[in-house]
Amino acid sequence: MSTRENILNRLRQNVRETYDMPDLSFEKTTYADPIAEFIHQTTTTAGAKLIEVKPGDDLNELIRQAYPDAHVIASNLPNIKADKNPDTVSCAQDLDGTDVGVVEGGVACAENACVWVPMNMKQKAILFISESLVIIVHRENIVSNMHEAYEWLKAKDASPEGTSLYGFGTFISGPSKTADIEQSLVYGAQAAKSLTVLLI
Amino acid sequence: MSTKHSKAAEKFLKDYDKVTRHDQTFWSVRAKRDVLAYELKEWEQLREAASNIKKHTITHLADYLEEFERNATANGAIVHWAKDADEYNDIVMQIMQAHDVHKVVKGKSMLTEECHLNSNLIKHGIDVVETDLGERILQLMGLPPSHIIMPAIHITREQVKDNFAQQGILEKNGKMGAESMGVSDKTQLEAEADPTYLTRCARYHLRDNFMEAECGMTGANFAIASTGEIVVCTNEGNADMSTSVPLLHIASVGIEKVIPNYDAMGVFQRLLARHGTGQATTVYTSHFRKPRPEGEFHIILVDNGRSNFLADPEHWQTLKCMRCGACMNTCPVYRRSMGYSYTYFIPGPIGINLGMLKDKDANYHNCSACSLCLSCENVCPVQVDLGTQIYKWRQNLDSMGHADPMKKAMSQGMKILFQNPKLYTTALKFAPLANSLPSFLTGIKLNAWCKYHTMPHFASKSFHEMWKKGEVK
Repeated sequence: MSTRENILNRLRQNVRETYDMPDLSFEKTTYADPIAEFIHQTTTTAGAKLIEVKPGDDLNELIRQAYPDAHVIASNLPNIKADKNPDTVSCAQDLDGTDVGVVEGGVACAENACVWVPMNMKQKAILFISESLVIIVHRENIVSNMHEAYEWLKAKDASPEGTSLYGFGTFISGPSKTADIEQSLVYGAQAAKSLTVLLI
Repeated sequence: MSTKHSKAAEKFLKDYDKVTRHDQTFWSVRAKRDVLAYELKEWEQLREAASNIKKHTITHLADYLEEFERNATANGAIVHWAKDADEYNDIVMQIMQAHDVHKVVKGKSMLTEECHLNSNLIKHGIDVVETDLGERILQLMGLPPSHIIMPAIHITREQVKDNFAQQGILEKNGKMGAESMGVSDKTQLEAEADPTYLTRCARYHLRDNFMEAECGMTGANFAIASTGEIVVCTNEGNADMSTSVPLLHIASVGIEKVIPNYDAMGVFQRLLARHGTGQATTVYTSHFRKPRPEGEFHIILVDNGRSNFLADPEHWQTLKCMRCGACMNTCPVYRRSMGYSYTYFIPGPIGINLGMLKDKDANYHNCSACSLCLSCENVCPVQVDLGTQIYKWRQNLDSMGHADPMKKAMSQGMKILFQNPKLYTTALKFAPLANSLPSFLTGIKLNAWCKYHTMPHFASKSFHEMWKKGEVK
């Protein structure tokens, strides 16, 4: 018998009593104004910056103002001026040295400032390797809590285009951080040192 | 007879400042968890739900593993099964050899610690680089983790600096580290062992490794059966860097990590970081579904004893654990004895239980590391009855041949005393005589209790005697 069958058989033999999946329909915390809560969580606990985009604003101009010293911008978004494109670089390593990566998020969650970023590009390294990351968030995609966020993903999954092109997505809440040295909070561990949300 | 834990703890306790710092560090994490707990009205319902989802999944684990495998395979992942650590290491080596891997970058994974992956890789000439900052510091120092979430919290910034200097990291990556903070001269930062500076030095040191490695390895916090994907939660983004540059990704997953679907995931995502580190979320909650373009994605499902734990009527619920670390942070014994005092690589209440399930003879020592305050049970996000289980293990120590002979003799003495009222009354009558004995006779070190306490003063009259004479008002 293969290892696989051995494990499965043992698991079936060793169960003594079975339990049902619980009802998860209890009431969850929601916010009267999820957008306001998302802005609050993003700019406080998550340690990110947030720019509210007004009608007529030029996104490229806003990005330049937020990161005036940036030399290399990477993006595959059609309306963003970029020096590198994660779809056309020859390998992930080519994205090293990116000052600012610009990507578009999906659902965003008020309770913890998480923004879903699916891999809508060939090299997802752009999400982590860039010294700073800019995520475009649409107001209509903001929900209160993670239960609602996963409902949003389920709906996307059921839609024809699916969640993402290549089957990876990540909830990102603020810049990369660590407190591994004497519990001192430091931004910019292995991934982005700073994060800016452009709220449209 | 003292257990290995109590002996090791005694040594650790000699450094008062270190113990206090350790204690306060973990208590502060517990306190942060409490703040978040009070923010959610559904907190206890979430814990209850998490416990019940796990109970359901674990008692239907074979079905869910099959569903997970089916969906993961359909996504293009390659699923492997390992019955134990040896088979697991063999599978890893086969994959690595097929891809001619020389360097691996690795996210934090307790399962790989359990299976001694790193030493096995090194034995085969493969360079393995831990990429979680705390894990990397310990790896460079040649030390094991002392906590499952904050592995290097017992190391001081000075120690980190000295080690980075020895390894040549400050020399090679210091300039970039300082510049990333907008500082041109690193001298002052180095003199102060500035944590931001040291973190940034490690950032660029690890960056070099991410660029060169041919393989990235991660664990998994969750494996979702309905979609066949795994979920990895980190703050640093190291698991993501490890899997975004090298084209080969190997995920090591304990079979108990499977959960049914996204509905369950919503519950666990909200609980994990709030419990473990007192954050509303980790910075990254990454869902890996398919291999990257031109890449390969291997998932190794590891049993290594877990399927047998299920048969244990008293201890099977340890399989609910999602390794958040909350039970360690709250445990008064862990906080004052630290991870290295335990004989099992996972310390604290959950480690005591997992160690006993794994190897009773090697790990019974840890059963003494519990005051039965049950704080662990009150914080556990999946309601594992950790302290109660430790109590049950203790009840069985005698049958395992590991009872403390001194305590056993005392228990037998007490049994005789308490079963014989006349003897008890007589003993009580003469007890006050002990008050006038010199302390070197009563405070003998043979009696472990006297190590940290002075003997109590016996009252001249017992309650019994007073009651009989009507002196009790």
